Amino acid sequence: MRTTTRSSRPFLGTSRQSAVVVLGVSLLFASLLLGCATPTGNPEDFFKPTPESLQVRALQTRIFETPDEKELLSASAAVLQDLGFQIEESEVDMGILRAAKERSAREFSQEFTQGLVLLLSATASVFGGANAIFIMPVDLHQQIGATLATRPVEGEGSRFTVRILFHRKVWKGSGQSGDQSIPPGADRMQMIYDAEIYQQFFAKLAKGLFLEAHEI
Amino acid sequence: MTLSEAQLKIRSYQTRTFDVESQDKVVRGVVAALQDLGFIIERANAPMGLVTAGKFDKGGFVELTVTVRAKGTRQNEVRVNALFNTQPIDDPNAYQNFFTAVERSLFISS
Repeated sequence: MRTTTRSSRPFLGTSRQSAVVVLGVSLLFASLLLGCATPTGNPEDFFKPTPESLQVRALQTRIFETPDEKELLSASAAVLQDLGFQIEESEVDMGILRAAKERSAREFSQEFTQGLVLLLSATASVFGGANAIFIMPVDLHQQIGATLATRPVEGEGSRFTVRILFHRKVWKGSGQSGDQSIPPGADRMQMIYDAEIYQQFFAKLAKGLFLEAHEI
Repeated sequence: MTLSEAQLKIRSYQTRTFDVESQDKVVRGVVAALQDLGFIIERANAPMGLVTAGKFDKGGFVELTVTVRAKGTRQNEVRVNALFNTQPIDDPNAYQNFFTAVERSLFISS
């Protein structure tokens, strides 16, 4: 009798525990899924400026006092080269440059979360009896892109604005959800709004041209 | 081949004429407007007045092609067609907003 009581209690306890673990892991997955899902947008909004547009423009733009647009462009190309970029497209007559560089996108925090989720899902699989193993795909690789355009300041032949946009495209590695594998290669694009990157670029450009970069 | 009424309608809201003489000025205005809207300029061809650009937005990829052509001697015509996740965008308001951004960039430059 004693043995039965002992064995039945831990059994009840385990099923409760496993229910809690399964619930916890499901909630975690749900929040991960919600984080990934994005509402399909209204096409009107793609071409509407956002409240931050002006601020972003100021961050990405400087005015240079020079009559020589080609010099401005070739100095910009040289700075991008210094920063490790490859020039991929140029159209001098329109004042356009596009450049890119490849970098690793691995981050400790993501890989830590991946390990934690794997551990939790493995625990849930052991107690729940079903394969709930979840290997969260993490960022592996990124391409940093820069697009630059020069433009004469209206009515003046001797001043040009230079606007550069930095962005990054990140690719994820593979993962697994239960018996289903998640293929690698899912990507996302983000604009880079880190002021330091823009300041660094314009400081180098000003130095290369022996000119001062004026804020707009 | 003749264009159907629907195609003509789509072309009409994808096209806008600007009273600006210089094609170069209009193309650069388009580029500046696209940068303002967070687009990445992918390709540009000055002799053809052609710009292609794209951005990730609302969980998908928006891409567009713009061409600027001289219309007579004093005007330029801007034609744009945009796609969202490779499907054509046929909402006239989207194009209206695009041209408003170009207008702002051409006539209210800082």
